[in-house]
Parts: sequence; structure tokens; C-alpha cells
Amino acid sequence: MSDTIVKIQVTDGTVTDFKDKNLLNAWRLSFLGAILCMAYLVFFHPDPYMRVLKFIPDGLWVTFKVTFMSITGALILGLVTGLGRISRNRFINLVASTYVEVVRGIPLLVQLFYIYYALGRFLRVPDLLSAVIAMSVCYGAYMGEVFRAGIESIDKGQTEAARSLGFNRAQTMFLVILPQAWRTILPPVGNEFIALLKDTSLVSILAVSDVLRRGREFASETFFYFETYTLIALIYLVITLLLSRVVSLMEERLSHYER
Amino acid sequence: MSAEPIIRTPIIRMEGVSKFFGDLKALDNVSLEVFPGQRVVIIGPSGSGKSTLLRAINRLETVNQGTVVVDGFDIRSKHTDINAVRMELGMVFQSFNLFPHKTVLQNLTMAPTRLKKVPKAEAEERAMALLAKVDIQEKAQVYPAKLSGGQRQRVAIARALAMNPKIMLFDEPTSALDPEMIGEVLDVMVNLAREGMTMVVVTHEMGFAREVADLMVFMDEGKIIETGTPDEFFNHAKHPRLQKFLDQIL
Amino acid sequence: MLKKLMTAVLIVALAAGLALAQTKKKIIFASDATWPPMEFIDTNKKIVGFAPELLEAMGKEGGFEVEIKNTAWDGIFAGLENKKYDAISSSVSITDERKKAMDFSEPYFEVHQAIVIQSDKPIKSVADLKGKTVGAQIGTTGYFVAKKMEGVEAKSYDEIGLAMEDLFSGRIDAVSCDDPVAAQYALQKDEYKGKMKIAFIVPAEEKEFYGFPVKKGDKETLALINKGLKAVKEKGIYAKIKDKWIPPVK
Repeated sequence: MSDTIVKIQVTDGTVTDFKDKNLLNAWRLSFLGAILCMAYLVFFHPDPYMRVLKFIPDGLWVTFKVTFMSITGALILGLVTGLGRISRNRFINLVASTYVEVVRGIPLLVQLFYIYYALGRFLRVPDLLSAVIAMSVCYGAYMGEVFRAGIESIDKGQTEAARSLGFNRAQTMFLVILPQAWRTILPPVGNEFIALLKDTSLVSILAVSDVLRRGREFASETFFYFETYTLIALIYLVITLLLSRVVSLMEERLSHYER
Repeated sequence: MSAEPIIRTPIIRMEGVSKFFGDLKALDNVSLEVFPGQRVVIIGPSGSGKSTLLRAINRLETVNQGTVVVDGFDIRSKHTDINAVRMELGMVFQSFNLFPHKTVLQNLTMAPTRLKKVPKAEAEERAMALLAKVDIQEKAQVYPAKLSGGQRQRVAIARALAMNPKIMLFDEPTSALDPEMIGEVLDVMVNLAREGMTMVVVTHEMGFAREVADLMVFMDEGKIIETGTPDEFFNHAKHPRLQKFLDQIL
Repeated sequence: MLKKLMTAVLIVALAAGLALAQTKKKIIFASDATWPPMEFIDTNKKIVGFAPELLEAMGKEGGFEVEIKNTAWDGIFAGLENKKYDAISSSVSITDERKKAMDFSEPYFEVHQAIVIQSDKPIKSVADLKGKTVGAQIGTTGYFVAKKMEGVEAKSYDEIGLAMEDLFSGRIDAVSCDDPVAAQYALQKDEYKGKMKIAFIVPAEEKEFYGFPVKKGDKETLALINKGLKAVKEKGIYAKIKDKWIPPVK
């Protein structure tokens, strides 16, 4: 039981530190600022801001759907990949490592195009599901690395203790290692959640009617480009900040035991 | 202080066991028999292979050559359910290795409820009895991080006992402890020995060895150099390397 | 001596070049070259098609130089507003909404909105599209037409080619776009030939024409474009270019 807590940083993190109990911290400033800004624009300039706001709700719903389905998919895929990466079975290890290597070497946008049109042409997968699969495949690889690092950060003694009691490898992993690794894994995974939420805007390229595409449709018809994208940016900011708050609350809940 | 073992069949039998780490021979053709009820204390300088020998008994360390039979099971065989064998072998580590995400009580009940399907209430009752035995019942609901080293090691011993093992293996159980805490852990081990538990202990605590050991084993460079009673070891050591080792640590 | 001569020649050439450049105004046109046969990128990565060739001819007749800048459709109007180019040549239909934001040249092409479907589907009229998904390029008249249809889900794409691909793979039921483009994809493209067809032309109350938009109030550019267009039409050059690029719809 070491006293240091391992921290893993994989991508652009936006999880703010909530230890900062000042009334005026970065999170509150951004969150309240965004809300006030939106309220001001919508109430005092209803044309076009109110029109934009009325145009995009179904897009917002699609963004949420894609985000949460992709997070679920990426978590499952990430866990499987992470376990595969530490597997002693050479074949499984090779498959998992190759997957990570390939996915990390291809830009998300290219993957989205590729998977979307490949799935459409050969498997007739509907558009929303294609987007979710593409996002899951991409983020599954990143999360796989987080899971691997998290699992490897747990002291070998924990495995030995569990195995010496008679637990098999799977029981050891799921009862002893993962519950502990989760603490190390959660901050970077939370960052991945937020990065994923932001990256769902890329699916608008695939004609998935998310909040960004709805905004673009509105702007292309009405020519209110600046106004539309101002509102879209504020909406993304609010959602991202809310999600980062949720992740921080989960982190606090998990720190009920000290190492 | 205790009767000679009457039963002739050894519960642990190691024969011609060798283990290599690259060119290094961690175990070099080692043979050892442990009989039920026997207390074996293994001593030797660091890197002599004593921990490896102990860990070879429950296959935490796989060996390259030789036979290891525990409770009638050839543990090197692929057909042996190693997890079933391990349930009969309690192990205590130098670094305690308690599960930090579980309370003390949960540390004790986890294995019996999951592996032996003991009902939760029954497992908890037994866990409380074991915690009383190691004199730490008041900490049942506490997380391990809140315990001192000595307390942690006593909980670790109780955790191993919760599975009702036939044999207890101790891998330098007091080496990571502050001096003032060593006594409380040794007391628990002495009591366990008095109850007739079969024990294999790797330790530097010569007082403990003198008090409970039926058989002393001295290892150096992966080999068993000398075996004997505590009296033979401490008063009539034969091998010069053992004499030198004892001179250094006593 | 030779050096002096070279310098003199160079100066004369430069002066002549400058003079030429001054007399001939350069008009930069933005074009989303994903709209065959009107404007698209050929295998030599050159922007070709009906409109580029027309512009070239117009420039010759109207006395201006033409530069075409490939620009994504989504944002092509915003770029004009921000003076990134002088005009747009991108099969822009003249609509009332657009006329509020930009000034248009004289019309240069009449279009109709065509509905493309998979050849084996029994879709013959707007009524048959009820409950179906119709794809179109974002911000185009094809998209606006689809959105206006009752009970039809309009789906916007960044490029018409992507909508065609989704129609081909069955994700959407139809694509709505300008008739020359529809004909190009459904009838000319090897991969889609036989698998897609033009189901019908959407009946419209008013005729729809392409025009070249310029920034509101840019009379100078507008005059040059109109002059060139008029001359090209009168001299019969227009008809020749049209015959070369536009496939017959029926």
C-alpha cells in the first residue's frame, strides 16, 4: 500500500479541481457566465437567438444519445481492451495491442467517415448507430490504455493476496483489482467522457442531426452564422461543464477510503 | 514443547525443486517435507531463496524442475485445481496486502462467502471470533488505511484463517513492522502454533524460532544447507555458513 | 552590355504586365466543386464543369480575369459577406431569402428539383415520399424543398455525394437536388448506373434559376459579370458549353 496515488493523464482534461472552495472559481465563473450570456441573448434578442434555440432541441437530444451510448460502448470496449493488453495469452494480447495501435494512428474524423460509410455499404447499419460504433471504437482504444495503466498501478501484492486465498484470475480482477483501479482510472476516464462529448460534434459531418448540424442547417438557411454558432458554443460549454461536475462528484464519492 | 509428529505422511513434500531467474538459480535442487502439525522455520540471508521456496508451495512462484505435492495434490500438474489447493493454504505477506477498498470485516468475509458459499451472517460471526482471537474486534468496521502496521498484520492473519486452512505460510510477517509492533504479531503466531496449526514461517525472529519451531531450515544461495531442531541450530550449528549467519544476527 | 539589355527587357516586361493587370480586373469566384456537372474536380484535381468554362468565356468577353477558389458549401455565403472573394459561382439558386443578403447577377441556368431513388423503389410523386427520409445538401434549394414536403424527414448532408452514397446503401429513401446533378449521379456515374434513377421532378410554382451572387452593393463586379454573361449568350458560346456539359435529363 503505497502512499502516492498514481495519476494518469491521457488526453485534454477539463475536469476542474473542486477542492477549490472559493466562491469565485473557474468552473463557477464559466458556468454562470455561459448561462447568463445565453439568457441575455435569448430574452433581449429573441430574433434570431430564440429562433435558434427553438430549432435545435432535437439535435441536442441526438447529441446526448450519441454521447451516452458511445460512453457505454467505449467503457465496455476499453475494459475488454485493457484486460486484453495485460493478458498473458499472446494472441489476445496481440489483438488488443494491434487494435489500440491502429485506432490511435488514425484521426477520429477519418475513422468516423470510414466506419460510417463502410458500415452503411456492407452491413446496412443505421446512421446513428454507425456514429456510435465509430465513436466507441475510437474511444475504446484510448480507454483501453487508461484501464491498462489503472490496473497496472495496483500493487502486485493485491493480486497475490487474492490468489493465495483461492480466488481465480477473473475473481481477482473483478473483486479486488478493478474496484481499486477504478479510483485511479476515473479521473482520466472522466476526461475521456468530456473529450468524447465534445468530439460528438464531429458526427455532424456524417449527416447525423446533432446539435451542431441543426445549428448549421439553421445558419445555412437564414445566414445568421455568427449568432447561431455563438449559441451553439455556449450550449456545448454548459453541457461540458455540467458533465465535468458529475465526474468530480463521482471522484469524491469514490475517495471514501484512503489508501 | 510439543509432541513429535505421529502421522508419517507429509502434508507438503518438495523434491528436487529448482527455479531459475535467467542464469540465477533461486532454488537449486531443494527437497523438504512438512508433516501435519509441524512448525517449520526457514532462515537465511536475503536472496537465499527462502521466500521463493515458501511461495513455491502455493504456486505463487512456478518452479522449473522437481515435485511439489501439497495435501496429496501435485501442484505442478495442469489437472490440479490450484485454487482449491490454495484454499487449504493460508498465506501472510510481509506487506500485509489487505484489500484497501474493503473494511476489516469484509476483508475476512470476502473469501469464505464467495469461495465456500458460507452464508454472510455465519461468515461474519466467524470473522468476529477471529478478530477477537487476534485482539482487534473493535476495528471490524474500519478501513485498513486507518490501522497501524501491527494491526494490519493481525487482520491479515485473521483473513487467512477465515478460510480454515490446513497450513499457514508466513513470508517475513514482521519485517515491515516498526519494532514496537513486532511483539503483538508474534504473540498471535505463537498462539496459533500452540493450537497445533501446521506452519511454515520465513523469518529473522530467532526468539520466535527458538520458542515454536519443530524444524529449522537454513538456506543459502538457493540450497538447503542445514536442517535441525532449534537446539541443534542455536547450540551446535554444524555448517560454517550457518554459524557465521547466526553470529551476525544474534 | 548583355546584362544591361536583360535588365531593360525585364523592366519593360514588368511594366507591360502591370499595365495589363491594371486594365483587366480580376474577379475571384468561390465554388463548391462537388456539384457535377455544374462544377466539380476532375481527376487532374482541376475545377471543371459547365460553370468554370462559362466563367472563362464570360471573362474573355466581359474583360475580366477569373480565379476560382474551391470553398465548402457550408459557409460559402459567410465568406462572401467577409470579403474572402468577390462572387460565388456554385449553382446558387436565386431565392427571396438569399436576395435579402446578397445581390444576384442575371440568371444563367434554369433548374428543377429532381428526386433520385433506388431504381427498384415504387416512388413516383411527392405523395409517395410520405414517411420517408429524403437527403439533400445542407442549405440548398433541394434541402428546402424536402423540408417543405409534408410527412417527410429531411436529412442534410455536407456534400451531395455523401447523400447519394447513403441513398445507395439504403440509409435514406431519396435524394433531392438540382436536375443536372441528379442526372449526373443517377445516369452517368458507373457505380450507381442502373441502381438509381430520377423518380420525378418536383413541381414548382415559380421557375428556379442559378445566378452569380456578389456582396450587397458591389455594382462594379455585378456589371462586369452581367456584361460577360450577355455577350456569351448572344454569341452562341453559351449554347455550345451547355451542350458539352449538361446531359439530357429524360
